[in-house]
Amino acid sequence: MTTVGGDEVTSRSRRSTYFELGNGWRTAAGRGVSVAVIDSGIDTSHPDLSGRIRGSVEARMENKKVVFDPSVAGDSAGHGTACAGIILGIAPEAEVYSVKVLGSGGLGDGHAFLAGLEYAIKQRYQVINLSLGTTKPQFFAPLHDLLDRAYLAGCVVVAAANNLPHPSFPSVFSSSLISVIKSEQTDPRKFGFRYGEVIELTAPGVNVRTTWPGGGYRNLTGNSFACPHIAAIIALLLEEHPDLTPFEVKSALYSIAQENERARESGDAGK
Amino acid sequence: MSENLRMPGNENPELSSKIQRLIETVDIANLLVEPLTRSIERLLSASATALNASEASVLIRDGDEGDLRFLAAIGTVAEQLMNMRIPAGKGIAGFVMSSGQPMAVSDVGVEEAFYAEVDKATGFSTQMILATPLRHNDEIIGVLEYINRPGAPPWEPFSPEEMDKAALCGEAVASLVSAYESAKLFRDLGEKMIETDEDLDLDAVRAWLRQIRDAADHREMLELALLLREVAGRGEPERLICKELLESIIRYSDSKSETSYLG
Repeated sequence: MTTVGGDEVTSRSRRSTYFELGNGWRTAAGRGVSVAVIDSGIDTSHPDLSGRIRGSVEARMENKKVVFDPSVAGDSAGHGTACAGIILGIAPEAEVYSVKVLGSGGLGDGHAFLAGLEYAIKQRYQVINLSLGTTKPQFFAPLHDLLDRAYLAGCVVVAAANNLPHPSFPSVFSSSLISVIKSEQTDPRKFGFRYGEVIELTAPGVNVRTTWPGGGYRNLTGNSFACPHIAAIIALLLEEHPDLTPFEVKSALYSIAQENERARESGDAGK
Repeated sequence: MSENLRMPGNENPELSSKIQRLIETVDIANLLVEPLTRSIERLLSASATALNASEASVLIRDGDEGDLRFLAAIGTVAEQLMNMRIPAGKGIAGFVMSSGQPMAVSDVGVEEAFYAEVDKATGFSTQMILATPLRHNDEIIGVLEYINRPGAPPWEPFSPEEMDKAALCGEAVASLVSAYESAKLFRDLGEKMIETDEDLDLDAVRAWLRQIRDAADHREMLELALLLREVAGRGEPERLICKELLESIIRYSDSKSETSYLG
């Protein structure tokens, strides 16, 4: 096994670079694909999610370091539950893991968020959903390093753009992760691509109906909710093509999105 | 201040004089804090109209743990909100504060923990919310929220364009919040400095502070600061005339001190 930057490069990056995309992913369910939701936790008692969240951990500060313990805290904000509902709505057999980095005092400063990403990479979750970001420049370099590690470890990181006048990290990194912005599309399989933009993919993010803590549902708007749509699509792709590298996943998303855009232009998509 | 009043328990005239100057600055900062919150409220009103929202509020961080408190609000329950706090990470505002991600919910339910508490206390019914983070110098310093639409429901959900508008208003609000926080920090520091010196006889210090604040020249200085604030708020021509007048006074004063016949 080759090592780059202290991390093992997965053997699958050395297999043949050719693969046929096909249409099998369209009917896949994300079976056997692990998806980490780095967020505010997940309400695992929600009827739609009950028994479907494979594991929950939460960040805790110990001697100025962030450590992760098994969690039964659920979700105090609703956001992680909403993201998990979107993912399982599209990829019902994906193995969703909750990595809670938001919600209790003192954790919202970016360190827990970075630690959560590192934890997810160490666990080798295949897809990592990051519907969060930071604008603090001091996190730029460590995040870049973590994303390179994820890339080399074969973990596909999907991040939400922040849609604010300031850049948010990591969504503005363009090489090693997949960044998503909301659109008014409604069909998750008909996501779009913004050619030449830093935030390349567009996915449903306006009035998305999804799970909410306490057993109910909410209609939500934000890039945060576009991001899990793409995370789920990647789970479908990985069920059908388990050996795809992050680079190949990006290429596959690009070619599907191009097809979607072409169909939209000719007026028969997004309906 | 013309005469240096000696601080009780401290014989160092230089320190007393420094503290007097600090108090002058703190009092001026206090004068500025109030118009800043009024400016924030005006901005909230204008932006709520632009977004077709019926209520709007600004929450700012409170302490180091990520808790939030209401700094300004417009709408039917604005006054009641002022004393309320939101624990770190709780509810939509708490999430927006800790994640930096704006979001909108078009059907806030009755069971939603935080809003249920606020609504119970205020008698208000939160049904729709748009929340966007307030950023200043790469730090998230608070949350800007818009609640419900005017008139009776059903209402159109907040649109992506309205979210973009809210983010732009957030830029202006964040600058004002930051100015407010600086003024407040200065005031708090001054008060803390006096409180934490254990050797001081607090009653004597308070009496001393009163004495300084009651002194005619201190009051005159504050009145001058108020006048300046008033003039600055009137418009560009008034500001220019005021600036020219003040510069002329300084020039006159300088020339007088050089060629004084009065001794």
